[in-house]
Amino acid sequence: MSSLKLLGLYRALFAIILTFLITSIFFIMSNTNPILAYYYIFVGAFGNINLIIETFVRATPILIISLGLAISFRCKVWNIGAEGQLYMGAMLGTITAIVLGESYFTFPIAFIMSLIGGALWASIPAFMKSKLGINEVITTFLMNFISINFIQWLLAFPFKSPETLFPESDRIPNSSILPILIPYTRMHLGIIIAFLLILPLIHFIITKTTFGFKLKAIGENPEAARYAGIDVEKILFLALVISGALAGMAGFIEVAGIQFRMRPTISPGYGYTGIVIALLGQNNPIGIALASIFIAAIINGSSTMSRMLNQPQGIVDFIQGLLIIFVLASDYILKYMSRRGLIKL
Amino acid sequence: MIELIVSLIAITLQTSTPLLLASIGECIVERGGILNLGIEGAMLIGAFTGFIGAYFTKNLLIGLLSSIIGGIIIVLIFGFLVIKMNLDQVISALAINLLSYGICIYFFRMIFSQGSFPYLSELFSPIPIPFLSEIPIIGAILFNQTIFVYIALIIIPILHYLMFKTRYGLSLRAIGENPSIAYRLGINVSEIRYIALIIEGALVGMAGGAICLSMFNVFDTRITAAKGFIAVSIVILGRWNPIGVLGGALLFGFAEALSLWVGTLIIGPISASISQLLSILPYLVTIIALLIGGRKAKGPASLGASFSRE
Repeated sequence: MSSLKLLGLYRALFAIILTFLITSIFFIMSNTNPILAYYYIFVGAFGNINLIIETFVRATPILIISLGLAISFRCKVWNIGAEGQLYMGAMLGTITAIVLGESYFTFPIAFIMSLIGGALWASIPAFMKSKLGINEVITTFLMNFISINFIQWLLAFPFKSPETLFPESDRIPNSSILPILIPYTRMHLGIIIAFLLILPLIHFIITKTTFGFKLKAIGENPEAARYAGIDVEKILFLALVISGALAGMAGFIEVAGIQFRMRPTISPGYGYTGIVIALLGQNNPIGIALASIFIAAIINGSSTMSRMLNQPQGIVDFIQGLLIIFVLASDYILKYMSRRGLIKL
Repeated sequence: MIELIVSLIAITLQTSTPLLLASIGECIVERGGILNLGIEGAMLIGAFTGFIGAYFTKNLLIGLLSSIIGGIIIVLIFGFLVIKMNLDQVISALAINLLSYGICIYFFRMIFSQGSFPYLSELFSPIPIPFLSEIPIIGAILFNQTIFVYIALIIIPILHYLMFKTRYGLSLRAIGENPSIAYRLGINVSEIRYIALIIEGALVGMAGGAICLSMFNVFDTRITAAKGFIAVSIVILGRWNPIGVLGGALLFGFAEALSLWVGTLIIGPISASISQLLSILPYLVTIIALLIGGRKAKGPASLGASFSRE
């Protein structure tokens, strides 16, 4: 392993340790033994085979999203609209599946439509970024609110299923549901698609293709990249659209693997969690795979921990917020500590 | 009909106020070359600390003060990341937003147990200004408002003066154009930027307080609903100028007021459907406005760029 990759790993581990130290303080303040709390988080995530599968179920959508975000983050396009892109993809995929009904080609077409849904939604801020120079952070975030509010409306009125009392769509046809691989669990084919298909694919794109190389070149120095003959605007546009497509795919896999209906609650903020994971994984697919399992474990484990120790539910979001701050600040803190002679770098 | 329109304009002033406070603060900081996209989080924290302060002391003014302090703290953390640590401004802002959200959701449930719904027993009520509030039509619109509206309207000329007529403002704008040259001219870049950030923190925190203490009487993490990002858009559309910012804030406040106002006008079975659909309006208007007006926007030359003395 090269020293640079090792540095990325150290950075992430350092951030995780600091985060756990800070959260320990708050556990102690609320009369909870932090070691017991972390023990319950671990048990809740990996305690038995079913819980391990559940952790992978949770990791699947956030892995797909953060792999997409890694592509856009690599060229410093800060897509924070994955949440809205996920909803658009999931909605378009669900509508397609319902319209097509039972058939052999329902799943593949609905799957592709979910990619298109996410990509089209991302193409608006991508166009504004590459052609008009409008900051994508603002536009992608604002478009989340349009997407989610609009889909809430679609599910409450035009697409509301008459069978249920809740704002949700009809059940998607059985032929578009992802098969369960281990009976009596939620281990669906989507997990395999994410970890054994999408993950190597994105790794290949990033490390072995000229597109991946161009992303990196633009991320390091856009002016030099332009000078070297790279069509910077085109790459920025593509990066944002690809990350949107993957977010849309994550949404439809959630529908086809877990929910079987489109619901307004389909994502509890996976689009934002994806940002934390992409940064924790340093935009490196392997790092991202590890980070998504780690964050999924914290999400699942902390709900067990909250129940057992009567702790507030929001600890996950607090941990994610601390993690991202410390990942960013890790270089500075490590340098500061070595200047003070506390550690040797 | 006139009454309806007056009420629409009065709601517009109310919905514009948080946007105005936040965008004028952002305007100052951006003039000094820092792009702070973390005001969404700072506004949320302001609403949170304002709610906590007002809830436990039963005093709205202490609530207002704590929202200001909450906003300043979060913006100063952002300042530390981008000035002291010299980190990328955009990622630092994303981190600040996620951290603020995490703090609010965790500590709210740490303070108030799961399943309880704390609310404030009173909100800032409109303060009619003697004589002026009795002027027909205009009186009800301009001079019968909450404290936040008055503060926002007073602060515009003050900050305009600060930015364009004082030595501080000159230094700030010089840094925004080129921090290296400003530094070589002997301007203390970090200090000037920190002062701008403190002003912004106070205003953005107050914007959060305005939402929590004068519009709703409960706290929820969805309360700011992208108002921080709309405020940043207003700064772009207002071309980094306090007067332009005022116009932008009124426009977007109007979009929000309209979506609330039309929802109350329509009755019958379709009203729920229409008001849900109308909740998109403020965001849609912002995107369209950026599409039309964001195109040739040129901000301060060093906006968003990192600067270190080495």
